[in-house]
Amino acid sequence: MNADAQLMEHMMNPQNYGELEDNNATGMGKNPLNGEKVAIYLKVKEGEDPIIEDIRFQAIGCTTTIVAGSIITSEAKGVTFSRAEELIAITLGMLDNVPPEDAACSEMVALALKAAIDTYTARQKDSDFPMISYKISTDCTPKEEKINESTI
Amino acid sequence: MKVLFKEVHELFLATQFTGFMSKTTSRHVLYEYANIFFRHLTWLENDFIKRGEDYTYSVEQVPIKVTHISHMYKNIIDRIDSIESKLNSCKDTDITFRMLSDLIYIKSSIEKLPEESVASAFDTKREYPNVELTDKARDALTIFLFEETYKEYELIMVYNYSKAHSSDAFLNRIFQILIDESFFHLRSFGEMMADMGILGVPRSIMEEVYKFDDLEQFLKDGIQEEIGAKEECKRLAEAVSSSSEYFASFFTFINNQENYHIALMQEALEHIQ
Repeated sequence: MNADAQLMEHMMNPQNYGELEDNNATGMGKNPLNGEKVAIYLKVKEGEDPIIEDIRFQAIGCTTTIVAGSIITSEAKGVTFSRAEELIAITLGMLDNVPPEDAACSEMVALALKAAIDTYTARQKDSDFPMISYKISTDCTPKEEKINESTI
Repeated sequence: MKVLFKEVHELFLATQFTGFMSKTTSRHVLYEYANIFFRHLTWLENDFIKRGEDYTYSVEQVPIKVTHISHMYKNIIDRIDSIESKLNSCKDTDITFRMLSDLIYIKSSIEKLPEESVASAFDTKREYPNVELTDKARDALTIFLFEETYKEYELIMVYNYSKAHSSDAFLNRIFQILIDESFFHLRSFGEMMADMGILGVPRSIMEEVYKFDDLEQFLKDGIQEEIGAKEECKRLAEAVSSSSEYFASFFTFINNQENYHIALMQEALEHIQ
């Protein structure tokens, strides 16, 4: 299967989409500019380096966000927190190389995953710790629209 | 009752999207049955409301990728069997008697529908029959169809939820028109997805999308979204116009329909202000 076909599969049948009722941590990634958001639910197996046994996500966002959520949650399922942190770092490190509208979607999913991990970690010390929510720093306006806006 | 509600919702989606796969008169039979299942959903919803019970539109992803339509017919029949076994969780026997009668009939009818090969609805070829699409037009159309099938499904459920919780006849007339319009759009786009080999059921809708507190703000946002959708249709009509006169005129037709949606939402906004 080539890259295009894989992307189409994620569009047609997003993986890990929906709520996870028996989750033990949730996190949120938000785009403050347009109200889009991603929620990530984790079922975590305790340990020195906890393991993400199950993961689901939900989003108010565009198709690119759903594809990013489907890919990133598929990668994060079954891995340790350390590996998931690496995955987040890799995703955030690639943002400069993709179009802004795609970068914002991937950042939102990566930050939602980070928020869920951080929420879980904080709840090990304080079980009432509220869900963590992070805001993205990427502006998802496509470059050509920015040029048009600035010339009006 | 919550499981029953969820399963009826999933049955509605499975039946509606199986309709998109069909290239025969079975499509319209399935559309009618999907309409009936949607009505069942609204009757169960009303029972929740009458009893003051909370509910959601959350559903599991509905898998539909099959090679032959009979696989989906079996899936639909299995779903109906499961629903039948849960009907007694609804205490309104007028609803459940009616539902059971419908389900028994529909099951026997679906069993008799002819076999069809439907693999082309999922082959991801992204080619449209009798139309030469440029790469740019193909990509634009693909993204548009995924965005809009979700959006139309979302609008159906959002207006349905608003209507279920409103006793204002003026608003409910508007909500019903918008539901009917979104059904038409969903079906138009769903059929195009199947033709392009990219058919998929939209994702479940987050609760906060339809359980909003501020109808005025919702309508204001909705008007802005409709304006955005109009622009998207206009852009798409331009992108595909060199490839297909049919597509260009179709998206202009859809674009013009959005004008009336905006007028209706403005009317609703004035009514509540």
